[in-house]
Amino acid sequence: MRRAVTPWAFLAPALVATAVLVLLPVLNTLWLSLHEVILFRPRSRPFVGLENYAKALTDPVFWEALEHSLVWVVCAVGLQFSFGFMAALLLNRTFAWRAVARALIVVPWALPSVIIGLIWTWMLDFNLGVLNDLGVRLGLLSASVPWLAQTGTAMASVILAVMWQGIPFFAVTLLAGLQAIPVELYEVASIDGAGAWGKFRHITLPGLATVIATALLLRMIWVANSLDLILVMTGGGPGTATQTLPLYAFLTAWSGGNYGQGSALAVILTILLLGVVITYVWRSRER
Amino acid sequence: MKRARLTLLLGTEIPILGFLAFAILPWCWMMLSSIRPERDLTRSPIALWPQTLTLINYIELLQRTSFAQNMRDSLIVAVGAVSLGLTLALPAAYAFSRFRFRGRQVLRTQFLVINMFPVVMLILPLFVLMRSLGLLDTYFALIGGHATFTLPFAIWLLTGYFEGIPVELDQAAMVDGATRLQALRLVVFPLAMPGVIAVGLYLFITSWNEYLFALMLAGRNVRTVTVALQLFIGEHQIQWGLLMAGGTLVSVPATILFLFAQRRLVGGLTGGAVKG
Amino acid sequence: MKRRTLLTGLAAALAATPLTRVYAQQTTTVRWWYHFDDPKATPDELVAAFEKANPGIKIQAENIPWGGGGDYDTRLYTALIAGNGPDAAMVKFNNLARLMEMTALLPLDKWIDAWAGKADISDDLWRLHTAPDGKRYYMPLQYVILYLYVRLDLLAKQNLKPPTNFDEFLSVAKAMTGGQQWGFGLRGGSGGHDSWMPFAFGTGAKPVKGGFVSPAALAQNRYFIDLYRTHKVCPPSAPTDAFLQVINNLKAGRTAMAIHHISTANDMAATFGDAITAVPVPRGPAGTGFATYGDGSNCVFSASKNPEAAWKWVSWLSEGPNNVMYNKAAGQMTVTKSGAANWTLHPKRFVDATVNSLPIAGVLPNLPQTADFTRVVWPQTTQKALLGQIEPDEMMQTFEKLFFG
Repeated sequence: MRRAVTPWAFLAPALVATAVLVLLPVLNTLWLSLHEVILFRPRSRPFVGLENYAKALTDPVFWEALEHSLVWVVCAVGLQFSFGFMAALLLNRTFAWRAVARALIVVPWALPSVIIGLIWTWMLDFNLGVLNDLGVRLGLLSASVPWLAQTGTAMASVILAVMWQGIPFFAVTLLAGLQAIPVELYEVASIDGAGAWGKFRHITLPGLATVIATALLLRMIWVANSLDLILVMTGGGPGTATQTLPLYAFLTAWSGGNYGQGSALAVILTILLLGVVITYVWRSRER
Repeated sequence: MKRARLTLLLGTEIPILGFLAFAILPWCWMMLSSIRPERDLTRSPIALWPQTLTLINYIELLQRTSFAQNMRDSLIVAVGAVSLGLTLALPAAYAFSRFRFRGRQVLRTQFLVINMFPVVMLILPLFVLMRSLGLLDTYFALIGGHATFTLPFAIWLLTGYFEGIPVELDQAAMVDGATRLQALRLVVFPLAMPGVIAVGLYLFITSWNEYLFALMLAGRNVRTVTVALQLFIGEHQIQWGLLMAGGTLVSVPATILFLFAQRRLVGGLTGGAVKG
Repeated sequence: MKRRTLLTGLAAALAATPLTRVYAQQTTTVRWWYHFDDPKATPDELVAAFEKANPGIKIQAENIPWGGGGDYDTRLYTALIAGNGPDAAMVKFNNLARLMEMTALLPLDKWIDAWAGKADISDDLWRLHTAPDGKRYYMPLQYVILYLYVRLDLLAKQNLKPPTNFDEFLSVAKAMTGGQQWGFGLRGGSGGHDSWMPFAFGTGAKPVKGGFVSPAALAQNRYFIDLYRTHKVCPPSAPTDAFLQVINNLKAGRTAMAIHHISTANDMAATFGDAITAVPVPRGPAGTGFATYGDGSNCVFSASKNPEAAWKWVSWLSEGPNNVMYNKAAGQMTVTKSGAANWTLHPKRFVDATVNSLPIAGVLPNLPQTADFTRVVWPQTTQKALLGQIEPDEMMQTFEKLFFG
């Protein structure tokens, strides 16, 4: 009897909080997506069933936004993870000024998106940006590049900015995970003659596996949903070159006023992410 | 130079410097911009190093705007969000990692669904809800809002860290007469401290940087730094100097907090625990 | 029961509870939302002066972040929908159609007609501030008119005078382009529609039904796009250049001309002194022209519990000396004739350029889609045209379709 009750007792506070403050608005949004909801026409809210969804699936801008989202997520998370992991491994070692190094790595993460967007936009500025200036002076660029005004380079620029912002998350999260691996395992491996790569493959990676998988999953969800940085840096432009799905949903709802359509787009995004999460949970169940 | 010292320098310290350079040079550039006159921004060709230094931006920021109070408001909200978040997440993560019960996977996934929605879509119903609860423009609205939205991530992350701690330790404690709660508090929690630190930092930073809730659910009595910074971006003007100064200051609290907290990120905490 | 009805019902029911505190019977409180560009400026002086002259009314002024316009609007609409809106607020023409659809505004006609300050505001301004249904919901508060900044010193090097029509504009821009300098700082990024309209509607086309795809508008739009694509008199970053880039490029000497308005006049004068001036935007061959009117008004909401007190505040702000005091804090032009006569806040040549543009001042159609046009549709479509992804004519067709179907 006590056995069955205890997990629920532990879960109850979190469950209640989420149910009240989050689940209700989510269900509300789901409900709205089934209606025609124009923000500035509050009196007319006809039920339209799945019409908003049908419109989305036949909308070329939707598919374009989806494609951009894929590129955005894969590149951003991939780069953040790779460099964050490297940083975590380095910060796990012992050296004199380690405390300062660890604190400083957090700086990009500790800035609000509006500041990050502003600094990077300004550093990449065509006329007065320091990166173009240095690039030309050091011979890396033949001429100044209008990074955010060209379709090809705009996406790369926002990915660069979000990568800068996200490396500390992985660095800290993975660093914490590294602490749980018993030092003795490394010592024993050294005695057995294992080299650095061997230790990494057989001790570090397995020890970190769960944390890596969790961090990647969570970060992927966060990046997939984030629109702050892109909004500040390019607004989805030039044209729609950096418009990802959540940004499209946001602009449809809050600029176009079409809240029903925007909600449908958000729900589609959620379903896609849910698919990924379910796959992850289902596969990890086999452990 | 001794061989060990050289290896450390080349294999560790120089690469770290590289990472740090990437991480903080943009911040340094912002900091430099904040201590030079705004005129320098439009100097062409660009002058990397300031000719004149001035603290006018900081003076104006702290004396003629409410930025200091806004930092205080942000701090209150962030600390509150961390406390509330950890209080709710720790037992939940413990439950997920220690118990095998029906609906476990479904529940864990359900928590995450919330974060799969772009928050901007939820703001309208959330606003109405907060208003009905009479919580608009209070610290509670933001603390509650931030805590619940970061809760799923916190639970998942903590569960991951908890799973790295052998169940045998709990069982050993309970054999010695501890309850579940005591096992969590006295055995699992201390050993999972690095994970708790990481999650705590995540909660703090997410709350500190949050803008949408702070804008919509508060604003008059409670105004956080993110909202304050947006006030510097006007319709026909951008207060660049104030923004640079504000941006420089805004990253300081989290960095300092982590400077102290990272002391607990020291390996070997679990090593030897099972033997005892 | 429908969830939305439940929530709205809940909100409405609880709005009647002591949560919305009723202050002491003697004083009425007016909640007023505003946004100033300079966060160091406050309306405290104004509020104090008003409260002194009107004991019994307290003004609760709340500074809402502008956030590119999006944040201010989002906050306003959400509050109005949830029944928690202010009594009065600063609004723009952008918001008019949507607020009208929400029946959120109180018509001010009978009060305006009985108001002493009515004659101090020009008929041109009252014309611009009248809603499509003929009623007046907006009280003029401040304004700017877009004009053309010109670097006289750079032009003088080649013995050129500031352009007055589109042909002269193109030749001056070409002459000013070379090396690291461009003739015109075109704004393709957010907010750029304001500096595009003088081109599109400069030769007689009008932003009305059919106007966007009229031959004149199509030709002028092609002229505009060609500035970037064909003649290359604009910096390569022009498609996404927004306020900061356009102004800073001008200040740094990278561009010789740019379109903006009086709120940057003091900054320009401080940077260049007499080497910079402003002239009204170029005109068409028949003397037609279109100078974008940048509005700023106050409105009173129909849901307000204290509409008379709100009106008193709002009309007080638009009266002669008060309006001057207000615009000193806001950095824009006073709407009163009396105030404009002795205006010392900005150098005279910029004031002249503004006031001389009043006869050709124009605005976008006041439709619900206008806000979407300015925030998303114009930048996205124009950028595509500037980058050659769509034809300029397609761009105008998109706009016509958006506004008039």
